[in-house]
Amino acid sequence: MTALFFSKKSRNPLDKYIEVRYILYRSPIYRSEMEVDRLDKRIQRIYVPMTESGFYILFCLQRPQHGYGIGQMVKMMTGGALTISAGTMYGTLSKMEADGLIAFVREEEKRKLYQITPLGEEILNLELERIERLYQNSRGEIYHG
Amino acid sequence: MDETKTLVRFFTIADFEEEEKWLREQHNRGWKLTNAAVFLYTFERCAPEDVIYRLDYKNGEENEEYFQLFRDYGWEYFDQNAGWLYFRKPAAEVETEADGEIFSDGLSRVEMVQHVVKTRMLPLLVIFLCCLLPNLIRSIEGSVPFASFFSVLFGILFVLYCYLITYCGVKLARLKKKYDEQL
Repeated sequence: MTALFFSKKSRNPLDKYIEVRYILYRSPIYRSEMEVDRLDKRIQRIYVPMTESGFYILFCLQRPQHGYGIGQMVKMMTGGALTISAGTMYGTLSKMEADGLIAFVREEEKRKLYQITPLGEEILNLELERIERLYQNSRGEIYHG
Repeated sequence: MDETKTLVRFFTIADFEEEEKWLREQHNRGWKLTNAAVFLYTFERCAPEDVIYRLDYKNGEENEEYFQLFRDYGWEYFDQNAGWLYFRKPAAEVETEADGEIFSDGLSRVEMVQHVVKTRMLPLLVIFLCCLLPNLIRSIEGSVPFASFFSVLFGILFVLYCYLITYCGVKLARLKKKYDEQL
């Protein structure tokens, strides 16, 4: 993972992310400084940038959905180019739930339905901005944020 | 009563890929696995079919949602053996290569291997260092009754453990490296 350097002058989208985390979690009553720092770094490390499967799962969970439903959506969306298999799906969903990016909504016939949380949405937006930047640059355009 | 056979095969915690391949071969020859207990594999006669077998290491952490998810994906769960869960799916139902796997990216495979190392290798090492070695040394020193018998017994166990730990350790490390480089 590349080291992330923040300067007040750089327009790194991660600045926004850190800001959000700051607002959400840095009240002294809620968590200790060290713990917040550790959380920040950990979420950064894991989800920025995101893996393809991670991105698609988070993207599909903007509506409540269960594991297999997500898998089918991804297969259809990507025209069969990306398949998320059972073991990977279960593991990623568990991790994202533990990290607070998605939340359990309800259960239907032994299937757990998940949906994205506000924190998950923030991270998804960061990733979407990154993809937008890559896409624009790849077509020779300058990215203006 | 269908014809059954029981085979003895030793697959270590690092040999799950070979085990999957072997079980698939057996099914191609008309034998489907009905029960696996440590090193005893019981098969039942069936129509020869190309069926993909996959193992997932869950070590008792599986739950109903997990099984339902795998069922949705078309995997038949049929046995549990020492923390490993056995799934199979006919190859005819597999459209893309990824449908025949239970892991679609290297990261989740690495995590599975790490889970195996943490919950199987480490206890093995602990038993080796804290139980086997001291007992072996004590037997060799002769400070225990029937010292010579125990020396031989622990000596054999020592060699066996050394071999197993080295074999599994090296192979798991190699697998982890292979999966790290995968997508």
